[in-house]
This record gives sequence, structure tokens and C-alpha cells, in this order.
Amino acid sequence: MKYIAGKLGLFVLTLWAAVTLNFFLPRLMPGSPADAAIAKLSQNGPVTEATRAAIEAQLGVPDGSLWEQYVSYLRQVVTLDFGVSYTFYPQTVSSMVSTALPYTIILVGIVTIVAFILGTLIGVAAAWKRGTWLDALPTLGGSFMSTFPYFWTALLLLFFAGYVLHWFPTTGAYSATTTPAFTPAFIGDALLHAALPALTILVTSLGGWIIGMRNAMINTLGDDYVTFAEANGLRGGTVAVRYAARNAILPNLTGFGLALGGVVGGSILVEQVFGYPGIGYLLFNAVIGQDYPLMQALFLMITVSVLVANFLVDILYGALDPRTRR
Amino acid sequence: MTSTDNTVPEPLGASAHSTGSVQATSATDNVLLDVRDLSVIYESPGAAPVQAVDHVSFSLRRGEFVGLVGESGSGKSTLGFALTRLQKPPARTNGGNIVFDGSDIRELDTEALRRQRQGGFAMVLQSGMNALNPVRTIRNHFMDIFRAHGHVAAADREARAAELVRKVELDPSVLASYPGELSGGMRQRVSIALALSLEPQLMVFDEPTTALDVLVQHAVMDTIQALQQSEGFTAILISHDLGIVLEATQRVLVMHEGRIVEDGSSRDILERPRDEYTRMLLSHYADPRAEVVELPGFPDRQSRAASGRTRAESATSEPTVVTRSVRSADSAIVVDHVSKVYPPPRRGEKPVRALDDVSFTLEPGQSLALVGASGSGKSTLAKLVTGIERPTEGAVRFGDVDVTRLRAKGLRDLRSNVQMVFQDPYAALNPLHTVEYTLSRPIRNMTDLRGDEARARLHELLETVGLTPTETFAQKLPHQLSGGQRQRVVIARALASDPQVLIADEPVSMLDVSLRAGVLALLEDLREKWGVSLLYITHDLLSARLVTDDIMVLHDGRVVERGVTADVLRNPQDDYTVRLLDAVPNPRRLRGDVA
Repeated sequence: MKYIAGKLGLFVLTLWAAVTLNFFLPRLMPGSPADAAIAKLSQNGPVTEATRAAIEAQLGVPDGSLWEQYVSYLRQVVTLDFGVSYTFYPQTVSSMVSTALPYTIILVGIVTIVAFILGTLIGVAAAWKRGTWLDALPTLGGSFMSTFPYFWTALLLLFFAGYVLHWFPTTGAYSATTTPAFTPAFIGDALLHAALPALTILVTSLGGWIIGMRNAMINTLGDDYVTFAEANGLRGGTVAVRYAARNAILPNLTGFGLALGGVVGGSILVEQVFGYPGIGYLLFNAVIGQDYPLMQALFLMITVSVLVANFLVDILYGALDPRTRR
Repeated sequence: MTSTDNTVPEPLGASAHSTGSVQATSATDNVLLDVRDLSVIYESPGAAPVQAVDHVSFSLRRGEFVGLVGESGSGKSTLGFALTRLQKPPARTNGGNIVFDGSDIRELDTEALRRQRQGGFAMVLQSGMNALNPVRTIRNHFMDIFRAHGHVAAADREARAAELVRKVELDPSVLASYPGELSGGMRQRVSIALALSLEPQLMVFDEPTTALDVLVQHAVMDTIQALQQSEGFTAILISHDLGIVLEATQRVLVMHEGRIVEDGSSRDILERPRDEYTRMLLSHYADPRAEVVELPGFPDRQSRAASGRTRAESATSEPTVVTRSVRSADSAIVVDHVSKVYPPPRRGEKPVRALDDVSFTLEPGQSLALVGASGSGKSTLAKLVTGIERPTEGAVRFGDVDVTRLRAKGLRDLRSNVQMVFQDPYAALNPLHTVEYTLSRPIRNMTDLRGDEARARLHELLETVGLTPTETFAQKLPHQLSGGQRQRVVIARALASDPQVLIADEPVSMLDVSLRAGVLALLEDLREKWGVSLLYITHDLLSARLVTDDIMVLHDGRVVERGVTADVLRNPQDDYTVRLLDAVPNPRRLRGDVA
């Protein structure tokens, strides 16, 4: 309990630091969104002071001291009010993010967790049956698959499973003819659309988990407590799971935390290739369109998701390893 | 069924008779374990196969407590693992059979072997401290075993676990602990209790106390002996330490290069050793309390002193191969009322007082032993003297220099004069660098020698520590050297800067006994010929007696006794010194004689 409280305190502190940095860093940069817009306009002719004031008012360029700006920024963060998108005017940033977020979290989040669990299980089996085909196949296959670049795998799948065989739709999160709702028809349609991007992420990340877990487990299999457990005649399954795998998974949790943290921000390529309207797709468009409010909100989202993932892994670590609780 | 071993297709039991074993025919019913022509080979890919155990035959009667002794590489642990069928590739049994309780265990399939672990043979591992799963409580370790074999009814398991823990002299409250919360000795006791929970007929103890502190070692051995007598299991004690084995067991097998070179009662081994190797092992034991202490190649200090050579004379009057650079005055190390307090290891606990008001002076050319069990503060003291850490109170001076106030440059100068020899020669050398590279670094960093002069110095150093031909040794990598040779490289490295003081932290505790005398003689030689003063940190009183003039006994950070080494050891005043002396394994204190 004390352990969780400590970790929670640390989490809140880093969250505050991240939010604060997110506020100050853009203000340390030279130029402003208004400058950029004026520079664009000035290509067509001279820009008057009035135009400048109008643009600043339109963009909501803040006034007041830095401290006042900071306080109002904090208030906005707490109330999740990130203003209005420049490129998709007049939609609010919050509504855009909340539409995109479920797609990314469901697609990338679930696939990341599945890949971790699946890869860990295969890795355990491979290490336990070391030297047999059960080891050789996933180890070789895993290292082969993990060398594929994301987008290349995505393009291959798109081409064969999408364009050639027509098994799966090639773009979007759902068909143009359906409307988002919690109906079986929509969910089935959404799953069909998610299949190819999910497969891409699974194929490219699975190998890493398999090999990481296998190698960690081969190390723990050589540890004395495993030999001693065998000497005491424990059943093979107990030795493999409760002694060898249980200890081998600990270092891999750190990697899992990083991967979870990357769920929100790390899906740009996949979402772009499949035209999947998640956070990555949104971020890409925000950057292209110099949509500062949207970018700021997305960067904050990405930071927070990394922090939350690390916090969860810390808690998990505490539950799994008694040595960290002290 | 899954066994792929090329076992002899003879009916069980017949083989023992046909080979004509004396014990087997005289007391067949009584034989628990009969090993015939057992061979184990290591077949690592890319390396020549090594026959680690070579046609070994012996048998064990029920209730016997037998020692298996040998130095590193003798094959004793390999034999232990083969007997309990715990060996893993690249080790493979390639001949012979092991008849345990009437059946050849080499023919058991995996499941039969697993069942056999209960009520059959159990093993306590060398590094028993790591033999427990760090993420499971001690209680769960017991429950895992009970569940695997079902030999204790579910309702009785908790009580049985508590009873077993009490048998190894621990409080049942440890059942709720995780291994990381227990000390090394407690963990080793827990693993003995776990092995006991199998109710085995045969227990194999593989170096059960090697990783433990001297006093703890002694206590754990006492527990093992008491258990063997009360529970009546048959036991094999594998150890490199003939002293421990002779103290504990009734019969000893001496192993050398994969063969059993001698098999006899403990008393015969001690009093009438037949094999040369056994005699060599025995010759390296001596009682530090004896009037005259001699080891092979190591004459008694007092008789040497009596022959009229004083150290100062020998340092100057005898021109040796290596001449020490002229020094205007050698400085003494003065430790003046030093205390060191570490912050509490965990919140809410008391700060650790590692050293409490310790004072001593190490004169030029003097050798001083610093003895104590682990946790007595002796390594902390070494850190203070070398400036690695600063004392909480008091001062450490080297000549006119206050060590406690030194910064980077001053510490560098200090270290060219005060050098350390580390305990573990396997860890103290970078495995990727040749001896030449290892030695050239300090020559470059600590002296002005360059080019040919530096090279000459390097070979001079190797010659000093007895690694000749120096050309050959300079090109070697650490793994191509034996433990003793590695420790010589570590010493040569310490000598590279031409130091006035050597601080040797347990320099021989990781070495086989046959190699210890050589390294100790080297240290002694360096002091006599180079006038280097020696601070010798150890728990091993015998070696302290051999290489030091004076001794200081540390206990809980305090000096409890000090004086001339021979006097203190022969006539100890403090209770703690007596306990340390009693913990020294002594072959002459036979099992029967203790009680």
C-alpha cells in the first residue's frame, strides 16, 4: 500500500512536470502561430497591423503575464479544454481527440497487450523446449519477422489481402455506409477494418517479445533455484511457470511498459498507411496543417499515456516482485 | 523410457555382484548406493571433450556420512550432479551405472525420476543462498514440494513445514518471508530443510557452506552433522576443504582429475594417507595455534627470524633481481580514532556503525593482519585507508598526508603508493584484455616510464610475481590462466606503481589450497625484498599466522584484541578470537573427537 502511494506521488509529480514543460517549451521557441500565418499572407501583399490583430484574436493568442497564462493553461488542462482546431475549424480539439482516441486505444492497445502475452507464452515454450523444433521455429521466425519495417509489412498486407484477394477493406475504421453506434453490424464492420492494421502491428512486434522472453528464461533456467526445484522433484510445469518464467518475465515488464506508453504516439505510420482515423493519423494531419492547439493537446496525450503506462507497470512490478516492495 | 543412455542390459543388482565389490558381497542389504565405473564427459560444441569423471566406483552403506574432497576441476561436483541425475548438457554420463536402493537410476524415465526425488536422493546446492526462488515465500517453497509429491496430507502441511524449519534451527516465522529477507546462512538452512522435507534416504551436500561467513559456516556444518545423526539419512559431503570434511565425516573419498585416488576412513586418511595427492592436500593444513606453523614452501616465521635476518636488513642488503627504486623515507599509515557510520539501510532503522573508534599504525615494512568475520568492518577499513570512502570521525594519515582530505590529484598520488590486491582474481581482471595490457595501464598512468622502459618494467613485474617465461604470460588472456596465476597478475598490477603499502583483501580465499601457499609466499617475499608494508585482511587465521607479524581482531567495528600474531593466536584473550579460532577447519579434530 505504501509502495503504491509512493509510486502514485511520483506519478503526480512527473505529470505536473510534463504538463509544465509542455507549456513552457513552445514559448521558448522563436516565432508564434500568428507570425507563421502572417508570413504566409505576406506573400500576397503587405499585411496591416489591423490584419495582424485580427489574426491574433482569431487564433486566441494569449495576453497577460506568463504566470497568468500558465494558470489559465493549467485550468484548461484540468477541464480538458484545448481550444479550437485551426485546420478543422470550428471543431474543438477535445472532440477531435476523443473521437480518434478509442480507435487507437482499441486497435493498438489491445494488439500490443496481445502481442506481449502471446510472445511471452511462445518464448516460455521455446526456452523450456530448448533445442527442439518448438524452439527453432518461433526463434527463427521471430527474428525474421521483427526485421520487417512496419510500413512494408503494412503495404504487403494491403496489397495481397486487400487489393488482390479482397478479404479485408483497405482503408478507414468503418465503411462509409455505416454510422458509428454500438450495434453488432457496426462492431463487426469495425473489427473487419481493424484486422489488417492489427495484423501488421502483431507481426512486427511479436518476434521481439518471443526472443526477449526466450533469452531471459534461458538465463533463469540456469539459475540455482531452478536446479534446486528440479532436485526437489517439482513437476515440470511448476518449474517452468512458477520458477523460471515467473522470474524471467520481470525484466520484460519494463519493455512492456515502454511499448504500452508508445501505443498512443507510436501508431502514426500504420494509421497513415491504412487511413485509420486514430491519434497517429490526427497527429500527422495536425503537423502538416500547423494546427498548434491540436498538436499541443496530442503531445500532452502522448506524454500522459507514457506516464500512465509506466505507473501501471510499476504497480505490476510491485505485485510480481517482492524485492521492489521494500 | 525416454532414457537415451547406453545402459548395460544386465539385470539389476547382478552387475554389482559380477564386478566383485567387497562391500556389496559382505553387506548387500546394507548398501544404499553402488556406483560402478561411472564416467561423465563434457562435450561442449567447439571444444575438445573433457572426461570430468573417469571410471569412478564406490559404494555407500546406509547411514554413512562420506566426504568427497578435491580441488576445483577434480570432478567432484560433476560426480554429485551425476549421482542425483541433475546434470545438464554439455555434461553426459558415458559409462557405468548407479544402483540406488536396488535399481539403476540411469534407467529411470523423467516421471519416475521425479517421483524418486521424494524418499530417494536429495541435493543441497553449492550456492544454496541462490537456491530459493526470489519471488516465492519460504512457505510456498515447502508447499510446492508437498503438492508435487503428495506425501504430506494437506491439513498437516503447515505444521510439517514449521517442524522442518525448526529442525534447521530457524523460527517458523521465516515461512512468511521471501528469500531476499533472509541472511545467507538462514537461506542455506532453509534449503537444507527443503531437502529434508523430501524425507530422502541420501542427501548430497555440494559445498554447502562455501559461500558463507566463517562463523556461520561452522554453525551450519554443526546443524548438518546433528541432522545426519538424528534423521539417519546417508550423506555425501562434497567440499574442496579437507579440513571441513575430515571434521564432519566418517569416511573420505579423495578425487583428483576425475578419479577417486583414495577411499578410506577419516582417521586413515588423516594418519596414514596413501596417495601423494592426499598427502599434498593434508600438508596445507596446520593449526594456527601451534607453536610452530609450517606449510610446504613456507617455513615458520619465528624460526626464520631466529636465523638472524631482520626485515630491514634483508630489504637493503640483499640485491635481488628486481631493485626497488630508491625512496628517501617510507611513510607509515596512521589510522587515528576512526569511526564510520553508514546511513540506515531502510527508513526507520538505525544507522550502521561499521567502525567504532579504531586506531592503528602500519609502519614501513610491517605486516599487519586484520581479521574478523564478515560484517566486522574490515573491508570498510580498507576503503578508508585507500581513500575510497571518508571516515565519519577521526583521521587517516599516510606520512604527512591527511588521506581524508584528498581530492582527485592527491588521491592519485596516494594510490600510486597504496595499492589493493582483491579477493576474487576471476572478477578483478578484464576478461578481454591480455596480461600485457592489464599491466601496461598502471605503468602508463602511475609512472613516467614509456616505450622500451615501460616494456622492461612489465617483464620485470611478471618475473617478480613468478610468471615466467614472461614473454609467454604477457600475451595470455585471463581465462588461459589458473586461479593462482591470475592472482599473481593482480599482485603484479598492484606493484606496477611501485607502492609502499599493499592492502590485500582475502587474497587467497578463492584459491585452491595447493595454490594458496605460493601466493602467500609471494606476498611475504615482496615484503622482505621490496620493503613493502602489508595490510592483510582476512578471516583465515592460518594464513594470517603465516604472513603477518602483528594482528588486530575486529568485531562489530571494534578492535577486540591486538598484538603479535603468534601470541594472540596461541593465547587468545577475547571470546570472539576464540570463536574464530574454533571455526578454523582442522583435520585433526575428527568427527569422533568433537563429541
